[in-house]
Amino acid sequence: MGVIEKFGAPKPLSWLLNWSRKYSLWFFNFGLACCAIEVMAAAGPRYDFMRFGVIPLPASPRQADLMVVAGTLTDKMAPAVKRLYDQMPDPKYVISMGSCANCGGPYWDSYSVTKGVDQVIPVDVYVPGCPPRPEALMEGILLLQEQITHEDIRRKWSERDPQPV
Amino acid sequence: MTPSPSETATEPSALAARLAGLVGASGFSAEHGTVKIQVERAGWVEAIRTARDEAGLAFFSWLSAVDWSRQVAVGDPPADPDTIEERYDVVCRLSSVASADGALFVASLPKDDPRIDSLVPVFDGAAWHEREAAEMFGIDFTGHPHLVKLYLPEGFEGHPLRKSFALLSREVKPWPGTVDVEAMPSAENREAGEGGEEA
Amino acid sequence: MSALDAGGMVQISDAAVSVELVGEDMMLNIGPQHPSTHGVLRLVAQVDGERITRLEPVIGYMHRGKEKLAEVRTYPQITTLINRIDWISGFANEVPFVVAVERLMGIEVPERAQYIRLILTELTRISNHLVFASSYPLELGAATPLMYAFRERERVLDLIESVTGGRFHPNFNRVGGVKPAAGGGSTQKNVVLDLPAGFFEATLRTMDKVLEVCDEIDNLVVGNELIQARTIGVGVLPPEIVLAYGVSGPNMRASGIDFDLRKHEHLLPYDDFDFDVVVRSNGDCFDRYVTRIEEIRQSVSIVRQAIGKIPSGPLRAKVPRVLKVPPGEIYVRAENPKGEMGYYVVSQGGRVPYRVKIRSASFSNISVLPWVSQGQLIPDLVATMGSFDFVLGDVDR
Repeated sequence: MGVIEKFGAPKPLSWLLNWSRKYSLWFFNFGLACCAIEVMAAAGPRYDFMRFGVIPLPASPRQADLMVVAGTLTDKMAPAVKRLYDQMPDPKYVISMGSCANCGGPYWDSYSVTKGVDQVIPVDVYVPGCPPRPEALMEGILLLQEQITHEDIRRKWSERDPQPV
Repeated sequence: MTPSPSETATEPSALAARLAGLVGASGFSAEHGTVKIQVERAGWVEAIRTARDEAGLAFFSWLSAVDWSRQVAVGDPPADPDTIEERYDVVCRLSSVASADGALFVASLPKDDPRIDSLVPVFDGAAWHEREAAEMFGIDFTGHPHLVKLYLPEGFEGHPLRKSFALLSREVKPWPGTVDVEAMPSAENREAGEGGEEA
Repeated sequence: MSALDAGGMVQISDAAVSVELVGEDMMLNIGPQHPSTHGVLRLVAQVDGERITRLEPVIGYMHRGKEKLAEVRTYPQITTLINRIDWISGFANEVPFVVAVERLMGIEVPERAQYIRLILTELTRISNHLVFASSYPLELGAATPLMYAFRERERVLDLIESVTGGRFHPNFNRVGGVKPAAGGGSTQKNVVLDLPAGFFEATLRTMDKVLEVCDEIDNLVVGNELIQARTIGVGVLPPEIVLAYGVSGPNMRASGIDFDLRKHEHLLPYDDFDFDVVVRSNGDCFDRYVTRIEEIRQSVSIVRQAIGKIPSGPLRAKVPRVLKVPPGEIYVRAENPKGEMGYYVVSQGGRVPYRVKIRSASFSNISVLPWVSQGQLIPDLVATMGSFDFVLGDVDR
């Protein structure tokens, strides 16, 4: 795609690609702890997030676009998170849900908890709460969709890591 | 229909005395309704086996340890340190499924020689509990078939639940909730002082 | 054939018998991230084709060190830690700990507070069992019960939230009772400190809906031939194994042991109510499932009776502002929705405990996995594991 890297994408093409990407996020639920129950509730009949085009449960991380880290990340689990993040194909996004994933949360002084998932992988949206209500998670997803709307595709492709995993 | 609890449960101090006699205990107590039987380290497995077979306490609830130290690296120091004899106490809880009877069996280990026999020959379920106690306190359970780490990652150094193990995050940064580090925007709108301590 | 001489035929059959198939067991790693492992549980299975010869669970991916953290938190702060142990039934985790502290301090809890604790505990039991009733068929391949059960669970969570302010980490228990005002706080001391208006009527309506969804689940799941074929006779736990490993709760009662801590321990006034202990005899996955559905019905009956009988009075006993517990040790256990949950609290004076040992139900419940999975097929392992109803927070603390 040398043309796009040299000249950038025309606005209609950029808009179209962003629009199709933001409304078809396949959501890799990395539900670790209590926040995973709120994710399940957000997928449930009342707070249904499938109406935003966000569908849960891909068969594997290699088919997912969005990773929601919901719950406490321990030092034992951190290498697994990194590996799963690397297995996701570009373009990929990460939402850090809950205070444990944001910064260690109520376990900030524990000997076995990683103080925030952003120590291991880059995060796009942080959703605070303990646990955040399903509406808060949906706001986080909508915020991410807004971010995607304003994405520059040239920058997105030039910053990807060419090493396969 | 299950009979009512008052018909089947034994009164704690009577139960403590009976169990102590059965297993040959060196001490017993029943404070706050909790039956505690002190057993010698050498007779640990036999005492548990007797409790299971003859006293009807066949349900293995849990096994863990307590680190009795006078100095602590985290938390409040004990109120009266000189009354504490420094040791590790291995505590095993057995209970019955016919009534509300249950007892804590305690064996004391000296700090310089924390070894005790494993209970896996008596209760299969003790395997995981002993692995946890071993990695948290550094106690060696002789005869355990597979004494490897249970919770902690490979390469973790130290025994976390020992009183000498400090929490590094707290060393670097003190607990932020105890003191108001900055004054609230308008002091007259808030209740005098106790926001952080309100139970 | 008779044309061949006997020696020739024996030779051929000898050749057929002497060819041996040499196979190797494969090491299959399931987890820690896997759609059907209830969280971050890793199973290292040695499989011969589809049959498991040896299984070793690797846990600790959710170990947050709560027992160590409890040594640096004051007693009221510890409830924030412990209601995240079994994170689906938040309220039920707090009750045994708070009762332990109250017994050590010799505080008498007012009756209305005990009834409120009981009602909320039973509501969390209903919520927990609804999550189980919906996620277990999901593992077996049925996606619809999830939607039905979650619809009703949202109503139950609304009730809990209207009283406590939180959906499943309510932090509503206080030493000496429950929090006096739902959302009032110290700025509204003059407001009547009690449950929100309309709570009891809303609860009774929700209980009717919960019973309806139990019947729907019976139709969809329990009577379904496919589910029955996958769960009847699978993962049988005999009573001796239950006792040796410390398996408790509905898992124990499904194996024929008639023991419910609500009838034996006196933390909450269950003696005032009439309810049955659900016991089934086979100990397979199907029995564990049906036990929990029946327990939902029993909990609904308890909640209705409690609402009819609840006395009036204060919601919290008088306790000093800064809690210091006198030296002593106590072990208190209660019937968590997942099993027996207990706290061994050792206090040496001071505002923080000296040692808190948390006896969590799921730790013992899944320690039996290596035994029960011997010789099972992998899909059967998934069915068995799901039927134990564990969460990793409960296992790893």
